[in-house]
Amino acid sequence: MSDQKISVAASPSVPAAPAARRVDPLAIIVRFQSLIGLVLVAIGGVIFSPRRHGEILFLNPDNIANIVRAVSETGIIAIGMTFVIITAGIDLSVGAVLGLSAVVTATMMISGGFGLISTILAVLAMGIVFGVVQGTISTRFRLEPFIVTLAGLQAARGLALIVSGNQYINISYGDGPGLAPPVFAVLGERLFDNTVPVATIVFIIFAALATLVLNTTRFGRYVYAVGGNERAARISGVPVSMVKISVYAITGFASALAGIVHAGQFNFGSANDGMGYELTAIAAVVIGGTSLFGGAGSMVGTVAGTIMLGALANILQLNNITPATQLLATAAIIVLAAVLQSLVRRREGLGR
Amino acid sequence: MSTPLLSVTGAVKRFGGVQALRGVDFDLKAGEIHALLGENGAGKSTLMNLLSGVHTPDEGEIRVDGKPVRFNNPREAQAAGIATIFQELDLVPSLDVASNLFLGRELMRPGGMLDVPAMRREAKQRLEAIELAIDPSRLVADLSVGQRQVVAIVKALSYASRVLIMDEPTAALTVGEVERLFDIMRKLAATGVGIVYISHRLEEVPGIADRVTVMRDGRVAGIAAPHAPQAELVRLLVGRPLDELYPERAKSVGRTLLSLKDASFRLARESAGWQPPSGITLEVKEGEIVGLAGIMGAGRTELLSALYGTGLAGRWQGEVAVDGRPVKLESINAARKAGIAFVTDDRRGSGLMLRMAVGLNLVMSVIRRISPAGLMSPRRQAEAVRQSFGQFDIRPKNPDIAVGALSGGNQQKVVLAKEILGNPRLLLLDEPTRGVDVGAKGEIYARLRALAAQGLGILVASSEMPELIGLCDRIVVLRQGSNVAEFIGGVDEHTVLAAANGREA
Repeated sequence: MSDQKISVAASPSVPAAPAARRVDPLAIIVRFQSLIGLVLVAIGGVIFSPRRHGEILFLNPDNIANIVRAVSETGIIAIGMTFVIITAGIDLSVGAVLGLSAVVTATMMISGGFGLISTILAVLAMGIVFGVVQGTISTRFRLEPFIVTLAGLQAARGLALIVSGNQYINISYGDGPGLAPPVFAVLGERLFDNTVPVATIVFIIFAALATLVLNTTRFGRYVYAVGGNERAARISGVPVSMVKISVYAITGFASALAGIVHAGQFNFGSANDGMGYELTAIAAVVIGGTSLFGGAGSMVGTVAGTIMLGALANILQLNNITPATQLLATAAIIVLAAVLQSLVRRREGLGR
Repeated sequence: MSTPLLSVTGAVKRFGGVQALRGVDFDLKAGEIHALLGENGAGKSTLMNLLSGVHTPDEGEIRVDGKPVRFNNPREAQAAGIATIFQELDLVPSLDVASNLFLGRELMRPGGMLDVPAMRREAKQRLEAIELAIDPSRLVADLSVGQRQVVAIVKALSYASRVLIMDEPTAALTVGEVERLFDIMRKLAATGVGIVYISHRLEEVPGIADRVTVMRDGRVAGIAAPHAPQAELVRLLVGRPLDELYPERAKSVGRTLLSLKDASFRLARESAGWQPPSGITLEVKEGEIVGLAGIMGAGRTELLSALYGTGLAGRWQGEVAVDGRPVKLESINAARKAGIAFVTDDRRGSGLMLRMAVGLNLVMSVIRRISPAGLMSPRRQAEAVRQSFGQFDIRPKNPDIAVGALSGGNQQKVVLAKEILGNPRLLLLDEPTRGVDVGAKGEIYARLRALAAQGLGILVASSEMPELIGLCDRIVVLRQGSNVAEFIGGVDEHTVLAAANGREA
């Protein structure tokens, strides 16, 4: 977790803790819960994977590529969501903003005749603006982000319906009016010898950037501070409102990015795209060890949590287990992650 | 001598590797008020938890009326007649007084309907039995802290009536409320109830206790008569004579840092219970520690938060100057630009990020300085943390543990160190030693004085009169938001109290 990265215990004149200080094993499990979970799921995947001619299907490169491709959109959103949740906020509008972004992306290129670059920039800017508006309303009028982004969800779906006219906007490629630049289709392809999905590369690059921002910048520290204790942060001179507005701008950006990836992968935009993604993203963040109370969490955890959920769904699918069971398994994992965190809080004497 | 109502012999309690109690003997007679004193970590909370059934002793024996008992949970202790009132009063603010008194044991009409009139009637009787006129239909949220305290007592006595254990009941009370609480305690004792009174306010003990037990390091350090001199109690508490709890005063002071002349804070919207500064004139010079005295509601906290821009919205009128230049102190930014830092009276609520590491908390007010070009510099952060650990003896000496795991005294040192890192010129302190044990108090006073000697100006509000008198160079007395008197440090307490209450000395 990030606390470790900024540790100063190594500096010589700050004496280290007495050697007798014991480390709570439970706390370690929670700190790395999503990575541990990911490893367990992977082991389970190998054990329970169906085999064909002795090959473990779960480990088949195509299957792994499928897993990481399938999670890349919710992963991008979960990365943004991690910032928001560390500030003790929540953003329910992300799935709807993804849908709106996919629709706008398709419409701009197909009906609007805009080029690739201008379309992408415009859609990303729209996502940022959407987040800034939500963050501003929430801070200016002191409203719970839950309510503001719930309204944002409705607004984004409504806008998406208006833009799309409740139609699938199909993306056809080629040169000329009504056609999207063929290079856009690369989002649905794989690179490096047809192994690594482009959507996954976008996810990984975004995750790496977000990790840097959260762990090494002043802004990242402010994010933890606001979630750790908003009043204390304010008194210490942290620009609390600016930080809050910024994290919603980040989720807006992430949702728009995911929307563009979505349009590129599926070659259409629909107002119903990204339905329910907000809950998958929140689940990934929580499984990743980020506290809904704010002030604690890590990007690595979120990435591992995202992939773990995808891998779990994949194993169940490979074994032809029904979607109903998948939902129940996900539910159990969320509860387990939350219970572990609660136990640690209680050990620290900070439980509620 | 009669058999004690409640006694403990040879109590030992370990939590993991920590031995919280190392063989404690304690007894309580019927009708006695027995004060239990101790610094944080001395073991008084653990002893209280054994008596109230929250924990069971590893060794030793608890007896009620001379008969050995074993409480496996608080309900068994209550059945034996032992009631405990914890600091966090177990009341539901959104329910009325009667509902709170009968919570979980509601009176019912036949058919399963609540019998509200009967509960209110009986609640009224119980409250009147201790001569407290509270309407049982009022919401607990609308009561003062003192009234809530009494409701909690009545509630506790309604299910356990022989022994009352009170954990720091006066911590949040005004002087008047403390007196009323003490009256009630004396009345209860006169009816034969034994009361264990846990406190860290030494000065209250002579007024209320029949006997004083002082704990230190999990043992009984001594048993004293109620009128034992404070120095004797302090020696028992900290295990060494503490002649110099308070450091020497300033030898010289510098230029005027903060100057208020007939300054008032006009609230954007009036707010009941918030006494804005009105017509205050005062100065704080470099190197000087100025105290703000006054009864609860006199506007001490409000003055500090209005200066720092953390209170209610509003505007200053009259003259407010820092370094001789008029400033608009209406936002946190403005205050910080003027070199002002603020330490709240609520370190857990608005001072610290409890779950975050000590080191992270320390650098919170200097993040900008240690993140050139927006990137956190681990080297600068380590330097800042090192500086804080060097200035304040924060224990354990480990910047990586969660600040919430520290004792109250060490948490307070972290809050102070955090603000000092920002190199303020003027430090506003609200209740700087609330919930801090005597040893840490001494350290904090010495550190504040040393900082003042380097030119820092300090304005400190406190409800602990000995603290103001011992620590400050000058004491400004506030009443109804305005300064009504000023004394040199070392003045006697009654003079200050008289001025605070608006009486002749």
